[in-house]
Amino acid sequence: MSHSTPLGCEPNFTSTSLEEPGVLVAKRHHLLVRWSHWLNVPILLGLILSGISIYWASPVYQHKPDPNTGNVDVAADIGIWLCTHVPGLHHYVSPPDWIYNHLSLGPGMLALALRLHWLCAYSFMLNGVVYLAGLFMGGGWRSLLPRRADLFDAVRMLRYYLGFPFAKLGRRKWLHPRFNTKYNALQRAAYFSVPVAGCLSAATGWAIHKPMQLHWLAGLFGGYDAARVWHFWLMWVYILFVVPHVILVFADGWDTLRSMIAGWTTRVKRSKVIANER
Amino acid sequence: MNDEKKSDSIQLEEVSSRGLPPLSANHESRTGEADSSGAVGSVSLKKTQGFFAERPLPAIEMATRVLSHLTRRDVLVFGAGALAALAGAGFLLPQETLRRWGARNVNFPAKEWFLNRALRIDDDVAETLYSGNRRVPTYTKSQITPLKNNYNGATPDPGYISGWNLTIDGLASGLSISLDIRNLLTRFSVQEQITRLVCVEGWSAIAWWAGLRFDDLLRAFPPPSQAKWARVESSVNLDASGNPDPYFMSLDLATARHPQTLLATHFNGQPLTVDHGAPLRLLVPVKLGLKNVKAITKITYVAEEPRDYWAERGYSRYDGI
Repeated sequence: MSHSTPLGCEPNFTSTSLEEPGVLVAKRHHLLVRWSHWLNVPILLGLILSGISIYWASPVYQHKPDPNTGNVDVAADIGIWLCTHVPGLHHYVSPPDWIYNHLSLGPGMLALALRLHWLCAYSFMLNGVVYLAGLFMGGGWRSLLPRRADLFDAVRMLRYYLGFPFAKLGRRKWLHPRFNTKYNALQRAAYFSVPVAGCLSAATGWAIHKPMQLHWLAGLFGGYDAARVWHFWLMWVYILFVVPHVILVFADGWDTLRSMIAGWTTRVKRSKVIANER
Repeated sequence: MNDEKKSDSIQLEEVSSRGLPPLSANHESRTGEADSSGAVGSVSLKKTQGFFAERPLPAIEMATRVLSHLTRRDVLVFGAGALAALAGAGFLLPQETLRRWGARNVNFPAKEWFLNRALRIDDDVAETLYSGNRRVPTYTKSQITPLKNNYNGATPDPGYISGWNLTIDGLASGLSISLDIRNLLTRFSVQEQITRLVCVEGWSAIAWWAGLRFDDLLRAFPPPSQAKWARVESSVNLDASGNPDPYFMSLDLATARHPQTLLATHFNGQPLTVDHGAPLRLLVPVKLGLKNVKAITKITYVAEEPRDYWAERGYSRYDGI
């Protein structure tokens, strides 16, 4: 294991004199987990941008043609609404395309979007395998498993997050709930859900990509059209996950970010607690 | 080198013997992970719930300078990776997208090559998934959904129908034959099926078709054994402004022989209308809709993969679903 001989790999640092103090560190994330974690950023961006371009060709959410414009696409309606109501967008050239121009590769480029989507989709599945390999090689999978007390602990964490801004405003003390585990219950639920969503995205993707050879797979999700809806909403799982994820990582500080880049954490007290207090 | 390493571990041993917790580095670094759980968890093991229970992270002692060196190194690697990802995005994204985002207008010849490689991999996967024995799901009449006229260009003037003939070329006999719709319908038995037609755009329709099996046509007028492909074309196809725009499509003979691949003559129990490709269209439910050529005028059997209208416009060539 890579954490076992970190010093042996660093012969240049022998100048570390005997007096220099050391720190207790632990390898928080396996190398493969860290690599696949960061690779997900461009891959998921590519999947979402090309995915919305593909969605443009045949929107899932449609209504009867608008008598004036002939428009059927709800996403185009949202663009039109934004350009009418948001100051500064009034002169936007093509309001129905606003969503596609800003949240996708662009409208009217299905062939290009499909090619990029397949490229990213195969990369995403490969990357998922690398991630799982890292989880098992580093033993990290145990930290992701749901626990019996998770529901209660999740409520405690939610209460903490919801009360945090008010406590700050009122300058009251607001203590973070203590946990003896690598993740708190909310984190665990989130980090467990994302790989599950990844598997579901891949499965629904295959179901709508090969609806004849894999028609049983589409059947699992309620048929071809339902599988498309699943695939669309699974995208929102990543979007809804990423926003608090990024905010909380920065709120939590450098140690958490470093542990996903370099792997090391200096917050090892908790593991001592597990070792000694239980 | 060895001496230097040793000095490190000596240092650690000293540190740990100076009263640091029992999870010290020298122990860890020698015994590796298998042992570490025993060492670290000698207290905790009693209470862990077994295989699935979370285990404490094995902690080691590390000199501050080593930690900051390792961190600096990995942050640099990470930054290089981020730059590479940015460059990769600039390389792969469509020009139009980059232009809209205000990026410089760049185009690499390798980009097309690379994306086409990815597309070919997906085609190969589709071809591997295909089985000549696997039938596509069929539906009941109550499940039929509307099917729009999806001619990409203008719908042809029905005038062509009266003088219509199907020409078959590239046969084993070396002859070129021509059949009208009455010849086809009297010579071959008609098969009915209610199947789903799936468009590359994502929509689909369940429709009731009838027609002759492509496989029967292949048996009656066999191609030479080296022929692996059919080029299926429609000379009456029009572009959006109504000018002639012949449609041509490649179909592998393995798919043509699929028991549900039809040369359809009827839609919803009636002869095909001009909207749906009268008088004869291809119905190949194991392929995307764009392979289901309307108003077929000619079929040619060839050994090498023929050109394909939509593959030349950036779509895949095999299109198996």
